[in-house]
Amino acid sequence: MQKKDAIIQALKVALPVMFGYVGIGIPCGIMEHQIGMNAFMAFVMSMTFYSGAGQFMIPSMWLASTPLASIIASVSFVNTRQLLYSAAFSPYFEKVAKRLTFLFSATVTDESFGVNMAKYQEGDWGAGRATLVNLFSMTSWGVSNALGVLIGSALSIPTAIAAFAMTSIFICLLMGQKASLENIFVAAVAFVAVCIFKAIGLSGPAILLGALCGVFAGLILLAVKQR
Amino acid sequence: MSLTEFLIVWLSCLATMLACRCIPIFILKGRDLPESLRNALNLIPPAAFAALVANDLFSPTMFSTGIWPGIIPVVAALVVVIVAKTTKSLIWCAITGVVTYALLTLI
Repeated sequence: MQKKDAIIQALKVALPVMFGYVGIGIPCGIMEHQIGMNAFMAFVMSMTFYSGAGQFMIPSMWLASTPLASIIASVSFVNTRQLLYSAAFSPYFEKVAKRLTFLFSATVTDESFGVNMAKYQEGDWGAGRATLVNLFSMTSWGVSNALGVLIGSALSIPTAIAAFAMTSIFICLLMGQKASLENIFVAAVAFVAVCIFKAIGLSGPAILLGALCGVFAGLILLAVKQR
Repeated sequence: MSLTEFLIVWLSCLATMLACRCIPIFILKGRDLPESLRNALNLIPPAAFAALVANDLFSPTMFSTGIWPGIIPVVAALVVVIVAKTTKSLIWCAITGVVTYALLTLI
């Protein structure tokens, strides 16, 4: 495939995520500005650590005078869901070189996991284009965060509304899954489990734990079906 | 936040993040996995998407400022479900979702 085609294909897939990241990246930068981060720091953090949830948590916990160790532990705990995404991509990276695998896996987020996984499930998707999707999304996130810091508090974006772009993307990806019995069962169990974990105060790891409950329930269903 | 504190938070969070992002794919890739593990990997996408949606829509404090503010995202989500079914387009879902949410907050 031509390089140019690959870039255009990746850009098309990344575009909804990139727009969404502008909407939440700017408010995130505004918060980072509040705790004294400059545009360069915000950009570096966004282009390496690259985590929406994490980068919102750091300023808000810092403003609540949370000790550094607790901030690091809480943020890390929330990001453990990345373990699942990484595992889910592994079958598609069997023949991919180590460096590309590293670059790809180091730049996966909730959203880029979603759009890339949907493309892999459709077939005709490759590690090069998937990595480009990650890098385009990351650049949008990095630039938006830096912009947010520069804007400071001069602009107020209603974050809850802007963040709903992401929720909408996840809903679309969920609806795009094959409507098989086990998929519906898995999604329903994961959905309810997340609500339960949040209700009992386990908000941090709720996504990971909820998704794991869904996967285990699905495995049990498959085992029962085979009997 | 001083530069030192920034460096500590950034590098520590980056280290745990990279571990979570990179270790599973390197451990699992290219291995002959047992069928149950392969099934489990295939079930991750629907489980993860449902978990992410539930996480965004529900929280124990969602009704703390009244019933309506808590229901708005749920109503907007139902509208997005319809758009997702009909268009299958991420962009359209994102746009309708945000616009519906914004309009509902005006009511």
